[in-house]
Amino acid sequence: MKIVLYLHLHQPWRLARFRYVDLGSGRPYFDVARNLAIFAGIAERCYRPALTRLRDSLARFPEFRFSLSLTGTFVEQAEQAAPDVLDLLRDVVRTGRVSLVGETYYHSLAFLLPAPELHDEVELHRRMLRDQFRVRPKVLRMTELAFSDDLARFAESERFAGMLAEGWEGILGGRSANHRYCSASAPTVMLLLRNYRLSDDVGFRFSARGWNEYPLLSEKYAHWLASSPGDLLGLFMDFETFGEHHKADTGILDFLAALPGAVAQHRHLSWATVDEAVDGRPVDTISAPVTISWADQQRDLGAWLGNDLQRSAFEAAKKLGTLVTRANDPELLTMWRKLLTSDHFYYMYVGGHGADQGVHQYFSSYGSPYDAYANYMNALTDLRQRVVKRLAPVDA
Amino acid sequence: MTEAPSRRTKGRTRAARVRTTGGRPKPHTRRAVGRSRESSSRTSGKLVRRDRSQLEALTSTLAWRRTPEETPSTPPRVPVRKLHIVMVGWEYPPNHTGGLGVHCYELCRELGRMGHRITFLTPFHGPFTETQGVSFRWPGRRTEGEPPVPFAYQVTSGPAEPGWDTSMNSYNDWVGSLAGLKEVDVVHVHDWFGTRGGVALSRRMRRPLVMTIHSTEYDRTLGFPGAEIREHEAYGLQRADRVIAVSRHLKQQVVDRYGVPPGKVRVVYNAVRPTPRLERLRDAGVIVLYLGRLAAMKGVDTFLRAAARVAPLAPAATFVVAGEGPELPRLLTLSAHLGISDRVLFLGKVTEEERSLLLAGASVFVLPSVVEPFGIAALEAMAAGVPTIVSKTSGVAEITENTFAVDFWDIDEFASRIGELLQYPELRRLMGDASRWEALKAGWPERALETVGVYVELLDAAGSRP
Repeated sequence: MKIVLYLHLHQPWRLARFRYVDLGSGRPYFDVARNLAIFAGIAERCYRPALTRLRDSLARFPEFRFSLSLTGTFVEQAEQAAPDVLDLLRDVVRTGRVSLVGETYYHSLAFLLPAPELHDEVELHRRMLRDQFRVRPKVLRMTELAFSDDLARFAESERFAGMLAEGWEGILGGRSANHRYCSASAPTVMLLLRNYRLSDDVGFRFSARGWNEYPLLSEKYAHWLASSPGDLLGLFMDFETFGEHHKADTGILDFLAALPGAVAQHRHLSWATVDEAVDGRPVDTISAPVTISWADQQRDLGAWLGNDLQRSAFEAAKKLGTLVTRANDPELLTMWRKLLTSDHFYYMYVGGHGADQGVHQYFSSYGSPYDAYANYMNALTDLRQRVVKRLAPVDA
Repeated sequence: MTEAPSRRTKGRTRAARVRTTGGRPKPHTRRAVGRSRESSSRTSGKLVRRDRSQLEALTSTLAWRRTPEETPSTPPRVPVRKLHIVMVGWEYPPNHTGGLGVHCYELCRELGRMGHRITFLTPFHGPFTETQGVSFRWPGRRTEGEPPVPFAYQVTSGPAEPGWDTSMNSYNDWVGSLAGLKEVDVVHVHDWFGTRGGVALSRRMRRPLVMTIHSTEYDRTLGFPGAEIREHEAYGLQRADRVIAVSRHLKQQVVDRYGVPPGKVRVVYNAVRPTPRLERLRDAGVIVLYLGRLAAMKGVDTFLRAAARVAPLAPAATFVVAGEGPELPRLLTLSAHLGISDRVLFLGKVTEEERSLLLAGASVFVLPSVVEPFGIAALEAMAAGVPTIVSKTSGVAEITENTFAVDFWDIDEFASRIGELLQYPELRRLMGDASRWEALKAGWPERALETVGVYVELLDAAGSRP
């Protein structure tokens, strides 16, 4: 049984409060200082201590390996707010036992936009990984672990050997998630699936005092891993799980540090990076005619495009895309892409089932979804005005 | 183009003035305290000169800080025997203006439906809106064939006028010595006007006294209370066995400013009655509405300043000010000064029917109050499906999440919220729908039950469990 531990590092460029009366004022959309301050805080609580522990584990356990994905917006902020975090990342990547995963640079919903936006953003991300880490990713993950037959075909056309997806009953149809599959639409693309029960035991439930397994110790967890059937175990979660979502006083960092040792107690358990895990024969094919994700109870795109606010905001952004392309101005293009980051839409989520609403509120920096929508639309409207101005310069 | 609308505005004004000053003095003018106008200009002058951080500090002292849910008042779990409540009231529909009249009417209506009996005392003559279970009593006599003899209460602008205290004293004397009341369970007084009579009556009959406070003298005068009225409030608040405040913000004031022990105060919010959904008129994102009294505490000048800020960005918008009050002349001057006379319509007092139509056609409702113990108007707008902007200090902001809550001094923020709602139809639609749901989530039946809960608490304590 190979454990595929994969951790996702992402920070969005959050918008500043951009009021309706600020339209046309030239005020910046993004509050750089605030974003960097937030980043510095998370680096202190999470990135630095957790990466240090992972680096130590790599040194102590030659068997230990894992995979990471870093968004472009994360790396941009890390460069300015905590460059030592990038050094730590380079350290672990240099061991050769840490794979980096490909994705969109802006952590965007570009897969819902007309080509070639998705290709451009994935390419942008690949270039960033090459420049920063001298790595070419072999496996692709879409924003929020989105997966569909079309996306598998895209991965194939981009020459990725595999993709990550949610091990959701909807696509498994009674089969186990703990195997290597391949896409039905693009058989050269191997699929590594997230075991959401075991992943969420750490990601969501670790610090829940009401949980009947609380407290979760590494020995118990390793035992669960060892007694799982199958040959691959996908433990996919946010990197921020370690020290941010669960703060250090919950013991999560100690858990992370102790896990490789606890796993080593079980002879038939070993570790694999995603690059290693995609090598081999698939047990079966998997088809996903409709896009699935790793979010909420529904595992669909409802968290980003579930209500009319989200859809209308995304449609407006999409519509602006054609104008932005025509304007052919790199600065405007970058701003537009930063506005495509999925987090903006996530903040506009309304309602939902108890647990999900709590999760959404936790991540949002707005008082309400209406705030999030109005602020986003103001920035987008302002950008639109700038693009239109660029397209049709005023006659002198 | 700008000529015609400005003439129209002017015409409206004259009409409104005629209505304000003409005819029989109306009960609601009670609140038009003479001092309030000057104190408001004093206050707003100060506000403008303060810098932002001072203003933010001011908001944080005024606004209720959302704390983990505090149950306002618990409805009784067991059936309650039918009670007889003597309500020492003030205004009652159809002649009412503020939240107090609405609150009394809706409360009595629900109590009556539950089978309780209410004797409603008021200084004014009827006829009042017929309400099941409610009998009205007022001083003075009806004479056959002649118009009712007016009660001594004739005041139009509060304690500044001669004869004011005489009429109030005679009302209170009348209340205190009222005969012919049988099997009374509770005496319940609303606001300051009848506190002395209410206290005397409850003592004489040895029944517990409940006092509902709808606003304090500090609220009505923007922090420059008239000593006399404050005294009457303090007299009632300190002697009542239980105080009901219409918001947590108001409860805090009662505790801080009148030294009432917090354990004695319960919060029972106002509500709105579900009306058959009036079909929304074509929502073109045009009408921005203020509907309420034009008093200093209502911050209508903020509404106008925000209108002036957003008007150039929303060329189709019309800003409607519906209601009357002592601030009208100042607001007219202000709108001229801001150069938006052609964009603002002053409608004066509107009828119930006009009110429903305005709400059906409005795209945005604004309640910019500096001080607003509750703010029923905002809840009514929400119930009509109108997306609503409220000031953070209003009581209604405590129980609503599907609104934009703004600092009362933040003109840019009001302007932005108006602009956003006008500009983005999806936002308007979603907020409007959610508002309606939220406003009707808890209605008057729940509020009346909570009030009965307060009565039962007292009767329990007195050992006469109903």
